[in-house]
Amino acid sequence: MTLLFVVTAVIVVALIFDFTNGFHDSANAMAGPIATGALKPRTAVIIAAVLNLVGACLSTEVAKTISNGFFDDALITPAIVLAGLVGAIVWNLVTWLLGLPSSSSHALFGGLIGAVIVGAGLSSVNGSVVVSKVLLPAIAAPLVAGIGAALATRLVYRITRKTPREHADTGFKYGQAFTASLVALAHGTSDGQKTMGVITLVLVAANLQQPGTGPHWWVVLAAGVAIGLGTYSGGWRIMRTMGKGIVEIETPQGSAAGAASTATILASAHLGFGLSTTHVATGAILGSGIGRRGGEIRWGVARKMMFAWLLTLPAAGLVGGLAALLSDHGNVGVVILLILLAVACAVIWAISRKHSVDHTNVTDSHEVMVLAAAAPETFEHHSPRADSSQPVKTKGAA
Amino acid sequence: MRIDWAALGVVAVVSVTATVIFATLLALGVRFVSVARVRSSEGGSATLPLTAGYALLGCAALLVLFCLYLIVPQFH
Repeated sequence: MTLLFVVTAVIVVALIFDFTNGFHDSANAMAGPIATGALKPRTAVIIAAVLNLVGACLSTEVAKTISNGFFDDALITPAIVLAGLVGAIVWNLVTWLLGLPSSSSHALFGGLIGAVIVGAGLSSVNGSVVVSKVLLPAIAAPLVAGIGAALATRLVYRITRKTPREHADTGFKYGQAFTASLVALAHGTSDGQKTMGVITLVLVAANLQQPGTGPHWWVVLAAGVAIGLGTYSGGWRIMRTMGKGIVEIETPQGSAAGAASTATILASAHLGFGLSTTHVATGAILGSGIGRRGGEIRWGVARKMMFAWLLTLPAAGLVGGLAALLSDHGNVGVVILLILLAVACAVIWAISRKHSVDHTNVTDSHEVMVLAAAAPETFEHHSPRADSSQPVKTKGAA
Repeated sequence: MRIDWAALGVVAVVSVTATVIFATLLALGVRFVSVARVRSSEGGSATLPLTAGYALLGCAALLVLFCLYLIVPQFH
C-alpha cells in the first residue's frame, strides 16, 4: 500500500516535471520563428505540442540509458526518485521565472543525483556513466550544433547573396518554420524519453517491471502528452530570451540554427546520449549569430545563461538532496514534500504574474522582468538595432 | 572511466554534415525559385529554374525523412 502510494506520487510528479520540461523548452524550437514572424505564436506552440507528442513515440534509447545503468538499481527507491523530481521541478520553475533557458535535462539529472547521494550514498551513482553520457555531451553538443549552425548560416547567406531580399525572406520563412517544427519533434524524442526513463526506473525499483526492459506503451503515451501540453502552454518568458535576447535572428539564420539543432539532438538521442535540448538550441542560435556577418550577439545575456547552466546541476542536486531528507521518512514525509512542492509552484507562479510575458507581448521586448531592480544588467551589451531602443513594455515595470 | 569517443565523434560528424547538406539544398532551392520568379516577371520562361528549385527543396525534405527513418527502431 505504502509502496503503491509512493509509486503513484512519483508518476504524477514525473509527469508534472515533463510538463515543466515542455514549457521550459518550447522556446528552443519556436522562439526563432515567433521572433521573426515566420509563425504566429499560437500556431507555433500548437505545432510544437503535436510534434512533441509524435517525437516522444519515435525512440526509446535515452529512456533506456536512464532506466538501465545510470544508477545502481538495487539502491534506488521510489522515494529517492520523487525527491530528485522535486529538485528538478523547483529549479525549472525558478529559471523559468528569470527567463533563463537552462537545461531541463540537467535539472532532472542534478535532482536525481542529489537525491541518490543523500538517500543511498555517493557510491550508488555510476560516475563514469554520468560523465560519458551527460557531462561530456553537455559540453560537446552545443559546440557541435554551434559549428553546424555557423557553417550553415555562412553558406546560406553566400548562396542567396544575389537573391532579392523579399524572395529570400519568404523562402526562408517556410524554411525556418519547417526546421523549427523538426526541433520540436527532436525535443519530444530526446526529452520525452527522460520522463519515460524515470517512470520506468521507478517501476523497476518497485518490482512492478522487469529490470532491463524498455518503457511500457502507456508510459510513452503519458510522457508524450504531458510534454506536449507543457509545450502548448508556451513558456513565453524563456521564448523572449531565446528569440530576442541572445541574437536578433533573421529567417535564414533561423533555418540554419533549426537544422543544426535537429541534426545534433536526433543523432545524439539515437546513440542514447541524454543531452540537453536547451544547450543544443542555444549553441545553434549563437552559432548562427557568429555565422552571419554583422550578426549581433548579446554576450551579456549569453554569459548569464552560461552561469545558469553551470549552476543547474548542483542547484537542482541541492534541492533534490534536501527533498530526499524528507521523502525518506515514509508516507508522512512524502505528503509534506508534495505539499511543499505545491506551495513552491504557487508562489513562483504568483510572482511571475507581476510582470507576465505571454503570447501577446512575447516579441515586444528582449527582456524578462522579475523585479524591477533586475533590469539594468541586461542592457550592458544591447544591440544598436531598432527594437532594443524601444521602451520595455512589461506591465508595471518601474 | 570509459568514454565513448567514437560515438561522440560520430554524432559530431553526422550532425554537422547533415546540417550543411540540408542548408545548402534549402538555400539553392530558395535561390532557384527566386530566379524563376524574376524571370517570369520579366516575361521569360521560368520552367527550368522553377523545377530545379522545387526539386532541390524536395531533396531537402527527403533528406529529413531519411534521417528520421534511420532513427526510428520500428522501421528496422
